[in-house]
Amino acid sequence: MNGPDSMRQLTCEEVREMAGAFVLGALDSADLAAVRAHLAAPTHADEHPEIAELGGVVPALAEVVPLVEPPAGLKDRILAAAAADLEARKGGLTLGAAATAASAAAATPAPVAGPVAPTAAAPIAFPTAEERAARRAGPRVGTWLLRIAAVLAIAVLGGWNLLLQNDLSAARSYQQSVAAVLAAAAQPGSLTAVLAGEGGAGAGLAAVDSAGNVAMAIRNLTPTSGTSVYEAWVIARDGVPVPLGGFQVGKDGTASFHASGLPTASGIVLALTLEPGPGATTPTAPIISKGVASAPAG
Amino acid sequence: MTSADQPLPLRTSSPVDAADRAVLLRIADGELAALEDLYDRYKTMAYSIAYRITNDATLAEDVVQDAFLGAWRNAARYVDGRGSVKTWLLSIVHHRAIDAIRRRRPTTELPDVEAALPSALTLPDVWAEVSAGLDAELVRSALDALSDVQREALELAYFNGLTQGEISERTGTPLGTVKSRMRLGLLAMRRTLEVGSS
Repeated sequence: MNGPDSMRQLTCEEVREMAGAFVLGALDSADLAAVRAHLAAPTHADEHPEIAELGGVVPALAEVVPLVEPPAGLKDRILAAAAADLEARKGGLTLGAAATAASAAAATPAPVAGPVAPTAAAPIAFPTAEERAARRAGPRVGTWLLRIAAVLAIAVLGGWNLLLQNDLSAARSYQQSVAAVLAAAAQPGSLTAVLAGEGGAGAGLAAVDSAGNVAMAIRNLTPTSGTSVYEAWVIARDGVPVPLGGFQVGKDGTASFHASGLPTASGIVLALTLEPGPGATTPTAPIISKGVASAPAG
Repeated sequence: MTSADQPLPLRTSSPVDAADRAVLLRIADGELAALEDLYDRYKTMAYSIAYRITNDATLAEDVVQDAFLGAWRNAARYVDGRGSVKTWLLSIVHHRAIDAIRRRRPTTELPDVEAALPSALTLPDVWAEVSAGLDAELVRSALDALSDVQREALELAYFNGLTQGEISERTGTPLGTVKSRMRLGLLAMRRTLEVGSS
């Protein structure tokens, strides 16, 4: 991508010609940067009403897509990822503390969110970070407890399923691996990923700390047999899968996996395959589950 | 949340917009239940857009998850007046879906660093919609009213994620002509939608 010094200077006429492509997202990165730089210049700020004029049409194009219902499990994945993100933002919550809070939450009526007066055309005044922090410190203890309860409920969901199957040992083991992931996720500079595969296979959580150590808690895996192993992979920006190591899975279908030496760039992909034997250097089987590791919002 | 430029006069706020903004306010405050509300409202549209663009159910799921997490993390950056919450959210979905298919295409230039980072979530530009409450039928008729080549240019850009240069190559059309088709096509659609929704 061009740096500011080598960026092409566009005329107003050139920007007008590219306005349609700009609002449609159809510019390459060099042209995009040049148009943005042009529009950002104070002398040009009011000279391009066509950008808003054409840009206002673009959302309409979404109205013609054939409607397709998303898979039922997607909502849970999103909420689990958001809960993990929330947890990582706050940091340092142990499962034990969360369990205590969850018990308290169960006995606390959920507060009803205060009404927000709709404003017709006026811009809505969202609270500042300080105002939001003050609110959180105020009367919304119940909400805080519910958040913790939600995190707990999602994080140990697999554990409860195992408990229902009377497999206490496996439930404890899985719970411990989730706790390890949450502890890693709470570290400054860590990345988190929600792993998901077809039909819920290989669902789980992963956290990569700033030193490149990864902890993964995975469930809904088909037990391995013979020499077969699950292989974990990391795929960085070059798109080349790098093996992290293999592990076997028992009849409970859960796994805890740790490895080190991972790149710590947000956007790396973590993936699992079921290989016929240990030591694979490139994947020979389809990806069972995967997730993108990303940093929580600061 | 930042203040907005003056909203365009054509777009009027609706009760749905106000309710959506209230949901976003709760998301900005870190309420997981609010994210669930937003998902329930727009899951079908979001997934449909992602699926239409990626043509891959698994990738579409990833896109939708990434987009909702982006909304979760960036709710406070929503700028009212530059489009409704629905438009903002669906623009993020569209943006992420296009990123996903461009990353998958070997012939496309590598995305820049910012675009490659899902966590950073480069928020798309959003403009106030031409009109509230557009229905699919009206938009379809506006698209049908375009010339074939204009409609093709818009669809290749919006749904296939092609750049103007790639459209030029694929259709064997001079770049300047592609630019004109996109600009004039959108302009013609705007006129049709304004008349149809007035």
